[in-house]
Amino acid sequence: MKHLTLAALGLALLLASCAPAAQEYTATLLAMDTVMELTAYGPEGEGALEEAQALIQELEGLMSATDPDSEIAALNRGQTVALSPPVRELLDQALELCGATDGALDITIYPVVRAWGFPNKQYQVPDPGALAQLLERVDYAQVALSGDTLTLPEGVELDLGAVAKGYAGDRMMELFRQSGVTCAYVNLGGNVQALGASPDGDPWRIGIQDPEGTSYLAVVEVTDRAVVTSGMYQRYFEQDGVRYGHILDPDTGYPADSALSSVTIVSPSGTLADGLSTALFVLGREGAEALWRARDDFDFVLVGQDGTVTISEGIEDGFALQGAGEDYNLEVVRR
Amino acid sequence: MKHTKVWILVTVLLLAVCLAGWLLVLGGRAGSATAQIYQGGQLVRTIDLSQVEQPYSFSVDGPAGGNTIQVEQGRIRVSHAGCPDQVCVQQGWIANGVVPIVCLPNELVIQVGGDEAEGGLDGVSG
Ligand SMILES: [Zn+2]
Repeated sequence: MKHLTLAALGLALLLASCAPAAQEYTATLLAMDTVMELTAYGPEGEGALEEAQALIQELEGLMSATDPDSEIAALNRGQTVALSPPVRELLDQALELCGATDGALDITIYPVVRAWGFPNKQYQVPDPGALAQLLERVDYAQVALSGDTLTLPEGVELDLGAVAKGYAGDRMMELFRQSGVTCAYVNLGGNVQALGASPDGDPWRIGIQDPEGTSYLAVVEVTDRAVVTSGMYQRYFEQDGVRYGHILDPDTGYPADSALSSVTIVSPSGTLADGLSTALFVLGREGAEALWRARDDFDFVLVGQDGTVTISEGIEDGFALQGAGEDYNLEVVRR
Repeated sequence: MKHTKVWILVTVLLLAVCLAGWLLVLGGRAGSATAQIYQGGQLVRTIDLSQVEQPYSFSVDGPAGGNTIQVEQGRIRVSHAGCPDQVCVQQGWIANGVVPIVCLPNELVIQVGGDEAEGGLDGVSG
């Protein structure tokens, strides 16, 4: 009997080690101005992926600031809009993050973003006087959500670009869970979000892109987490030898100048990870650490222009500098 | 005793099957970098970059004038494109799966997978 138990145990172990053979379904699509890669495992994966793609199209149609038919575009034209549940939910979450970061994330910065030409890629450095005038319209506190309709004050325009992909990730994880999928991975233009553990049962091993090159510089191990990175290298233009990045400081209207090359946020919430990766980039190292101490719902990786990588202690296990990261110094911030 | 022998046999057989499966999975990954080219959401071409002996180019049609794709051993790039922004051309060569090449106006995506250079990663955030 003992032998039998041992044999059965061995069998179970072997079957577990065969897990990579689980059915894998993948889809690649272009949406929200980026490439999205979706992977779901197991028999429910195929149907869930179809629904996930439909969901992305739906969210993009509601939230794109550049699509004249979207709810956001209608709001930005000054119309009164009966908000759909997803837009309402994301606005709620985004405004909470704007408040929590004291405006380092500000979803009303769109007039300034447009002045720089980022939405249509007609880049230009705005005239300082014009910029100062546009900045007067930027303040998330002017968005008063109550009830299900919203009208923006004159001149105020919304841009959910800093949170929409994160929200899409959250909604996809929810959809996968409801479909019975227990193992899935999505990469929404660099926004990674994973459901459960990887197919072999270990945590997912997620690389963090080297802001200075085409490789990666560190690996973080996660289960059931979003891993979202923001950095100027993702979108910028050069004029007269100066590089202007796409992450604008809502205080100045100019590209954030915080001595960081990139910020990665690890969190159960994709929306939070997305919004805070932008906000912490604006805040810089000290502000980032202070916010982390005040909350318990995320961890960070800060890549400094001085060659230091700073991480918060919650992701220390399984974190390693690798590849291009071997030239960096690692610092761990503890509570 | 007889039962034990049967179980051992079953276990050994399963071990063999699993091992074979693992070798297939790992063998597919080791040393091979496969480029997948998508246009309009459809996979239009798959290229094993490690097997490319002579560099060559080919065109993929798209709504913004299409793209010319150049292939060499271990790497791939967009050499010409009809898109107004030329982001895909400026990205240059890619040899790993860290950052895919994307031409939004032409709905073109080039992904490289199965590369050892990715260090056994499940994905990259960036
Ligand atoms: Zn292009």
